Amino acid sequence: MQQPFVLEHKTGHICGRFYAMASPCELLIDTDDMLVAQQLVALAYQETKRIEQKFSRYLPDNIVHQINSAEGNPVAIDDETFKLLSFADTCYQISQGMFDITSGVLRKAWRFDGSDKLPDDSLVQDLMPFIGWQKIHFDQHQLRMPKGYELDFGGIGKEYAVDKVAQVCLQAQPTISILINFGGDIQITRARDGQQPWVIGIENPLNQDKAVKTLSLYHGGMATSGDSRRYLLKNGERYSHILNPHTGYPVKNAPRSVTVIAEHCIQAGLLATLALLQGEQAEAFLKQQQVQHWCMR
Amino acid sequence: MQLTQNKNISHALLAASCTLLGVTPVAQAAGNSEDGWKIDTALLLYSEQDRVSAVESVIAASKDFGDQHIFSGKLVIDTLTGSSASGAVPQDKVQTFTRPSGNGQYQIEANTLPLDDTFHDTRVQLNAQWTQPVMENTRVSSGVHFSKEYDYLSLAVNASLARDFNNKNTTVSAGFSYANDTIDPEGGRPVGFSGMVINQGQFSSEDAYKNAFDLTRQDGSDTKSTLDLMFGLTQTINRRMIMQLNYGFSKVDGYLTDPFKVLSVVDQSGTSVNTLYENRPDNRTKHNIFVQGKYAFDSGVADVSYRFATDDWDIDSHTVDSKFRFNLSDNSYLQPHVRFYQQSAANFYQPFLTQADPLPAFATADYRLGEMTAFTLGLKYGMTLESGNELAFRVEYYQQNPKNNGTPLPGQLQQQDLFPSVKALMAQVSYSF
Repeated sequence: MQQPFVLEHKTGHICGRFYAMASPCELLIDTDDMLVAQQLVALAYQETKRIEQKFSRYLPDNIVHQINSAEGNPVAIDDETFKLLSFADTCYQISQGMFDITSGVLRKAWRFDGSDKLPDDSLVQDLMPFIGWQKIHFDQHQLRMPKGYELDFGGIGKEYAVDKVAQVCLQAQPTISILINFGGDIQITRARDGQQPWVIGIENPLNQDKAVKTLSLYHGGMATSGDSRRYLLKNGERYSHILNPHTGYPVKNAPRSVTVIAEHCIQAGLLATLALLQGEQAEAFLKQQQVQHWCMR
Repeated sequence: MQLTQNKNISHALLAASCTLLGVTPVAQAAGNSEDGWKIDTALLLYSEQDRVSAVESVIAASKDFGDQHIFSGKLVIDTLTGSSASGAVPQDKVQTFTRPSGNGQYQIEANTLPLDDTFHDTRVQLNAQWTQPVMENTRVSSGVHFSKEYDYLSLAVNASLARDFNNKNTTVSAGFSYANDTIDPEGGRPVGFSGMVINQGQFSSEDAYKNAFDLTRQDGSDTKSTLDLMFGLTQTINRRMIMQLNYGFSKVDGYLTDPFKVLSVVDQSGTSVNTLYENRPDNRTKHNIFVQGKYAFDSGVADVSYRFATDDWDIDSHTVDSKFRFNLSDNSYLQPHVRFYQQSAANFYQPFLTQADPLPAFATADYRLGEMTAFTLGLKYGMTLESGNELAFRVEYYQQNPKNNGTPLPGQLQQQDLFPSVKALMAQVSYSF
């Protein structure tokens, strides 16, 4: 059987690539041992597919599908799902409801395809009663959600996968530095030897054809949230795909893209998303958090 | 959400991320790609036995502004005090010399090498350098240099271009620097080969002495320009080894004479009958080749280099320098240093002039242009502190051994030590954060 990933020798490291979670996935491995690299990329691929299959709302017969089709009945959950729900709960609390994993239902009204087709307001208003994390009740063993509600881990799934892959790789090879990059969501397992950075290219979301900007990373994680392709444009006004769960409408005056550096990829990803939700005040918010960041407007 | 309530979101998210991933939060924040300023500081004490001592403080700062746009700057302040060999020969009786400024005299005891004790100065040096990529695999760097002493001003600019090939395993570089120095010693620059005017009561007045002294002096300042061209090749041999090969060309024009150096004129018995200010050519062309290899072991680094330099003053020199770094633990190391240096004399070097011979076109008795060997033995201990900052201590012993370049010594000079060794100790503390 053909391998689902490719490996390539680069200067001073090996690069492994595969495609998962609707994104190009890349591992930069600080070794010249092809066998070690192959084992790591295989592990990474396995872990990524496991998470994708478990938490993607597009796939049938997984836990998310069970929850979303339970019609008000309790659903048994495992420890990993409980931890993700607890994380989502913290995000909801600290953002005062702006980060809400039940708001994915709004995609039934909003299609961010670059066109000028705004949804009918009535359509948006019809969906509003089905948004509200506070209506979800869960403990370590089960979850109960009102009928018509939907959970969507899309806002944290990829970052979570990056962090989990980093963990798996670190456990397998604790002495090798590995950079995991899933379409701009990045985690480094440990610093490289000799204070050498990993140099990565990040694309300019405003001009994807243009050459990338390079960045030196030593350790920790990085994530980017933005709407390079996912937006609507009507009468010169740009509607970002970041929706305010309180109104059902896109957040106004949000930066087009926010990149944040933090210890963990998922932490960086949430900071970037919360910054976008701040709209005009995104930069002020990030400055207050004292994290390294870049905003593009 | 209001901004005022946001302050701890980053920390709350870190805690939540750690719970989610089942890991312990690391106390230290993620310092990253575009770290703040990196500051290196160092204090160096240098002391030659019976001669010059110096205190040098260095503060260097660099910052990566992202995308490998790097600024670096350095400020060096050093203070020199003490004596240096004037070039005159020792004698079996007390000698009297006029200070370089013309103001006052100093006496040298019998059988003692004449040292000029008026040597003290403070030097301030400033460097600024900017480096950035210009296209893929190519970097440019340019900088300015400023250095000021009491009687000396140096201004320089430099630029270089480096390009990586072969998957960054090969780097080729080319650069130049141009410096313009202005020299304005107190008391003026001596006229080459003019005799030192020594007031031993033969002048009718202080003014008469002053007039005689001034006749040996040139007015105003003089300049020196230096053009350096450098070509380099760096090659990664394998994961552990890197080699470097450099060629340097240097052309110096202008006032190259040392205004503080003299030569004794001796008679057949080796007795000094006059003291003349030295005179050097006004240009010098140098070439040098430098080869360096660095090898990383599992527990250390070996760094060995060799330099050959030659110039049209006929000074050929060889330098072998080696440093071995032994990692004692993950955060400390010991680094012995051994350096050996050997040079031949300049073609116009002579330890003294003889009364019987006609004056040459150029002459110096500066031992630094004579034949000599030198060596350095050093040891450095460095450690990384818990804060991640680095602290290092270095001690070095340096010895210069000047040699006679084959000049026969007449009369009493055979009883004198014309080529004493110069011994120095250096101690340095450096701290980087």
